[in-house]
Amino acid sequence: MTGTANVAYASSLEYLNENVVKPAFIAATGAGFSGTGNASGTLSSDIAAHEISPNVFESVGGDNITPLQPKFTTWYIPYAGTHMVIAYNPKSKYASEFKAYADGSKPLSTLFSSLLQTPGLKLGRTDPNTDPQGRDFIYMLELAQKYYNLPSDTVSKILGTSNWGTSNSSQIYAESSLDSTLESGQLDAASAFVTQAIELHLDYIPLPPQINLGEASLASTYATATVKLENGMTKSGSPQVIDITTIGTPTPAGEAFVAYTLSPEGLAQYKAGGFSLITPTVVGNKSAVPAAILSELGS
Amino acid sequence: MSIAGAAIIWIALLGPVITLITRMSPGDIWTALTGAGNLDPLLTSIESGLVTLGVLLLLCTPLAWMLARDRLPFPRIWEAGILCSLLLPPLVIGLLLVFMVGPYTWVGTVLDWVHQSATNTFLALVIAEVYESAPYYVLGARAAFASVDTGLEQQAGLLGDRPGRVFRRVTLPMAAPGLAMALAVSWARAIGAFGAVVIIAYHPFGIPMQIFTTLQETGLYSALPYALVLLVVALPLPMAAYVWSARAERRRRG
Repeated sequence: MTGTANVAYASSLEYLNENVVKPAFIAATGAGFSGTGNASGTLSSDIAAHEISPNVFESVGGDNITPLQPKFTTWYIPYAGTHMVIAYNPKSKYASEFKAYADGSKPLSTLFSSLLQTPGLKLGRTDPNTDPQGRDFIYMLELAQKYYNLPSDTVSKILGTSNWGTSNSSQIYAESSLDSTLESGQLDAASAFVTQAIELHLDYIPLPPQINLGEASLASTYATATVKLENGMTKSGSPQVIDITTIGTPTPAGEAFVAYTLSPEGLAQYKAGGFSLITPTVVGNKSAVPAAILSELGS
Repeated sequence: MSIAGAAIIWIALLGPVITLITRMSPGDIWTALTGAGNLDPLLTSIESGLVTLGVLLLLCTPLAWMLARDRLPFPRIWEAGILCSLLLPPLVIGLLLVFMVGPYTWVGTVLDWVHQSATNTFLALVIAEVYESAPYYVLGARAAFASVDTGLEQQAGLLGDRPGRVFRRVTLPMAAPGLAMALAVSWARAIGAFGAVVIIAYHPFGIPMQIFTTLQETGLYSALPYALVLLVVALPLPMAAYVWSARAERRRRG
């Protein structure tokens, strides 16, 4: 097959797409692959503004695809899930405490009520205005504050501000560089999806489903966590789901990429990367979905 | 080459600047400058740029002088070193600085003892800017010193001036316009530094980082005013230096 699948993907999918999916896809179809990674919100606005013209978009959260409807697409397919963890630097001076939380020998409540509030502890996260993970981290803290019955200023103390939706914080880094900033030692701990932590071999503290945004049945609990963004919009927590769609008129290579991702082989790659699999179903206009892709949903 | 040909090339080079100016209204610029906290990146850029220039003047001027006066053994090796430094892409400089002064290096450890850090601090910003601009300064300053007639320096020495006085009274004034030009180029490189800055000094925000994050957050159009601010702030020094050195050159020739 000729042509190139031009894929815009959420940064948390970078490792998987570039190192695992890309070579397998090229070998399986003969089409080319060209990928752009960025925060899902940034990609969504770039597509809307015609700054980038991918033929496939993989987003964390359907709410980054809905602004592109109906002009660029009229459907999307959720197919994989991930959840929040806290990645930490094993060479950090707080490493032994992080490890104790990670293996369960210390109760997680004190992670939030005490350790993360330590002055001088360098915490890294991403911009809630452009990155779903930036918002997820805040939701996770809110859910933890409720779940462990912590004081009402816990989240503000950890974030270092009571304006949770601000992008002006020294804790905020670009999503694409957060992991490397952690690895190089410039941070003690950082927000991460479990899938990033696994793929990049980062040490991490697992979090219970009540706060990690990974359990579909807890959607209504997650929705109680909210954050008000700089544009005045208030967003609320939801289970973290990866969605895929084609952008514009589907090209053969783009269709082939979506079909490949949703095939048993493609989904197995996501499973190996630490994602939980959901049965792919179409959200939106099913009749607009190319046949090659629909046929994968049947399997 | 005709004037028309030169004009076409000149306009092509100015393309981005012309685009910038024609795309914005004064209202846009005013909003960009007066929003809450919006001047902070400007101040950070100016402060770090000035500190960088100070570092370059103090540390790199002697090196440039010795290169120009052939005071160093195996001069080609020294030059090759400066060129290597010049040729490193800024992103690579940033990456390597992490391994050089990052938290896990001995420099990082020593700094940590005194509660300092060479990553994501004002110090880190200055370090990144110095590394991105120093080779330009060294090469420019070297050319400036090399253009001074050594015969004049020798005469001054014969007339009784000690080397320090010769440098102050003869070499420096004659090299000054060229040095100013070298500083101006370094100023432009330092204040616009991004590649090394994004890796090692993401915070505190200077203007380039401000442009980058505004770009990602609210799109191309809202980043433009900051680009104009950068231009307006960075331009006067190089312009002044250029005018000064052009006048000095004309005086020398005339």
